[in-house]
Amino acid sequence: MGENLKRVMVIGGGIAGIQASLDLAERGIVVELIEKNACIGGRMAQLDKTFPTNDCSICILAPKLAECFRHPNITLHTLSEIKNLSGQPGNFNVKIFKKARYVKEDECINCGVCIEKCPMRVDDEFDMKLRKRRAIYIDYVQGVPSIMTIDRENCLFFTKDACRICEKVCEREAIDFDQKDEEFELNVGSIIVATGYDIFEPTSLGSLGYGRYLNVVTALEFERLICASGPLGGHLKRPSDKNEPKKLAFINCVGSRDIKNNPYCSSCCCMYTTKEAMIAYEHDNEIETSIFYIDLRAAGKGFREYIQRGENDYAITYIKGKVAKILEDDQKNPLIFYEDINTSQVKQLKYDLVVLATPMVPKKDAGELAKILGIKIDDYNFFKANSYHPQKSSKEGIFLCGACREPMDIPTSVIDASGAAAKAAEIVMRG
Amino acid sequence: MSYSYFLGCVIPGRLPFLEISARKTFEEIGMKVGDQAKCSCCPDPTGAAQLDHETFLALGARNLCLFEESNNHILSLCSGCTESLKTVKHILDNDDEKKKEINSNLKIIGKTYKGDIDIKHFAEVLYENIKKIKEKVKKPLKDLKVAGHPGCHYLRPSEIINWDDPLNPKTLDELIEAIGADPIEYDMKNDCCGNPVEKTDKEISLSMLESKLKSMKEAGADCIACVCPACYQQFDFNQREINKNNNTDYNFPVFYITELIALALGINTEELGLNFHRIKVNDVLQKIN
Amino acid sequence: MQMVDFEFRNEIIKENFSLNYCYQCGTCSSSCPVAFITNGEFNPRKIIEQSLLGLKDLLIKDQKPNVWLCCTCHMCVEECPQNVFLTEIFERIKNMIVLIGEPYPETFKMQAKSIIENGLAIPLSQPIIRRRNQLGLPNVESVNINEINKLLKATNFEKKVNLLGES
Repeated sequence: MGENLKRVMVIGGGIAGIQASLDLAERGIVVELIEKNACIGGRMAQLDKTFPTNDCSICILAPKLAECFRHPNITLHTLSEIKNLSGQPGNFNVKIFKKARYVKEDECINCGVCIEKCPMRVDDEFDMKLRKRRAIYIDYVQGVPSIMTIDRENCLFFTKDACRICEKVCEREAIDFDQKDEEFELNVGSIIVATGYDIFEPTSLGSLGYGRYLNVVTALEFERLICASGPLGGHLKRPSDKNEPKKLAFINCVGSRDIKNNPYCSSCCCMYTTKEAMIAYEHDNEIETSIFYIDLRAAGKGFREYIQRGENDYAITYIKGKVAKILEDDQKNPLIFYEDINTSQVKQLKYDLVVLATPMVPKKDAGELAKILGIKIDDYNFFKANSYHPQKSSKEGIFLCGACREPMDIPTSVIDASGAAAKAAEIVMRG
Repeated sequence: MSYSYFLGCVIPGRLPFLEISARKTFEEIGMKVGDQAKCSCCPDPTGAAQLDHETFLALGARNLCLFEESNNHILSLCSGCTESLKTVKHILDNDDEKKKEINSNLKIIGKTYKGDIDIKHFAEVLYENIKKIKEKVKKPLKDLKVAGHPGCHYLRPSEIINWDDPLNPKTLDELIEAIGADPIEYDMKNDCCGNPVEKTDKEISLSMLESKLKSMKEAGADCIACVCPACYQQFDFNQREINKNNNTDYNFPVFYITELIALALGINTEELGLNFHRIKVNDVLQKIN
Repeated sequence: MQMVDFEFRNEIIKENFSLNYCYQCGTCSSSCPVAFITNGEFNPRKIIEQSLLGLKDLLIKDQKPNVWLCCTCHMCVEECPQNVFLTEIFERIKNMIVLIGEPYPETFKMQAKSIIENGLAIPLSQPIIRRRNQLGLPNVESVNINEINKLLKATNFEKKVNLLGES
């Protein structure tokens, strides 16, 4: 074995990757943080609040983002992906592919003039396509690094060799259409994978009408709809007529605990549906919510009390019974068909807005990354974790944390990240 | 290997005009379909099949053997028969023990099930020939709003039927589109017409039918198209009864999809025996002429 | 009081193992058109629950819920997140009702009778034969009733379906 490098690579800049990076950096270990997107922050940045404290999500996250950015031991590589891995624990050689940003990182001051002038309108992925962004953009206002990115697929200069307006209006001359994609290599002693999760797409569940009925949305869409920085500026309205919804329904286990889709429990939906109902009630005390569930899996400390509080103080009714069918009336109100298992009655109820609690699923490209890194995936396509040391992957020197190994909530991801950081540090501190 | 008709009980015994439309349609698109003699009840998946599993398998397997003997695939004119026969085949092909049992019963009448024929619903075969149908259309049924009713046994259980999307079916609507008509979307498209429940409780059966009719009406349908004689009966025979009981005015003409296709292919209305429908189809004929 | 009959449960499981997988979520009832119209009086989840609990008398004697109300649309089977083959389990229960000699709907008996006599659920009547000729349809050759009788004898169908209905 060659030189043992006091350097760790963290793949994925969500809350898990961020926490792992900060832990390592504080121990004096150099961190190479690789993020596929233009900004770090991940899913947590998309959430409005977090349970069970109902704290503002971005308020907790933003200081960590800033810390990551300015920590002398952390190097941030955004727009970057892993292409190849060689070497062994203690001395891995990783090939990185970094997409061009077309904005000079040192020059851009995030003034936003370019955004105002850009003529393109593109579906905003960060806002679950609920609004449009421009071809030059930043995912969200608190995004880190706090600089713009040009989306090559949609920019008129790249698609039609026209426009270049952003270049003209930028006083800092930060636009650089000549930037090229880069490939470079990094040497690290160990690697932490923290690539997070995707959201199950419920269009395939035809009977629930998602994609067909405007007032049936997913829980992550709901987070954006109700978030102050979201497309509605925090004033909850339903998509069909922009009226304020008064009767909400949440349906748990949409595509999870389901052999035909995802057999596993996504572990946090029982909690986040309660949280979302609470936030809605805080916005408007006239809102009444039903949460349809199979079992209420409120297994964390304080979680059961949280649900109790929802029932007592937030006008939430919990109905035991999974919903298989939603229709719509002529006012575009969703009609839910359900059995109330406590009474065995089968009924239909009208709601203003229905939210589907869709589960976390493995990242679409998890299999590909697993192949590059030479680690195993499990039956569901999550990265396979060691049964006794859950932060260990199947390969020595490569560790896992957060929802890329199994669905988990934010507190658990943070704990997991610290665990993975400790394991990764063991390798690089060895010699 | 070519196809022969499996007619079932309802069509030849009660609704022969549906049979003529199917025969004319397949003739017109240039498909020769033979006749298979001596088939028994499939048995009815909503009726006799529920009484005794062993008998269900024995009668179903005998029917399959008849087609094997004449070296023909099954082209079934009824969704119920299709489900029964596909289910029997599924069990015989996947459960060796059951196959042994059934074959020992079949031996009494000198037959053995081998498993070398296929079963298809007639609409499945039409769908496979959709290009040919489009080419042969002489009289597109322009502006005709058709509420397609795929029904249950045409689609489900999908593990056995293995055809179209069981919860979001498309094939019937595509056939309706192929003859120039307008397949309308309506909320209850995928629901049961209620026919099988008639055996146990007529009132419930009619309630199920009414919810479907209501949904079709709201969506502005001119007529109904179905692919199963049980559904056909439910729609054509019971709309009046619903009107009588509930003071409604449902009056949708009901067509077998082969009748609509035959019309679009230019086959004469008299030849099709459309006058045997209980709900008169004149308005539709006027609209398409 | 209802007696728990484990044999009954095991008998169903032997024929259809998927019963074991039910976790009582209610998806089946939510998707069932008959359950909706009867406000849950016909309730597929309950039939499965009672099967799992071995409540044989409730299902077979009292027939509560009435399993004969299943419209066999198989929506529950398609929607079930645990792949429980409900309609097949219901068929087993109906078979048991018939075999034990408990009452079942008359229409089913009439169909059984017609199959025993004609091999068909609906035999051809003279007016229909005339109508077939009128439409230019070929004759339908009659079923080899001899063969049908032999098969039905082998499966003991006539005895099983208990046409005289003394019970």
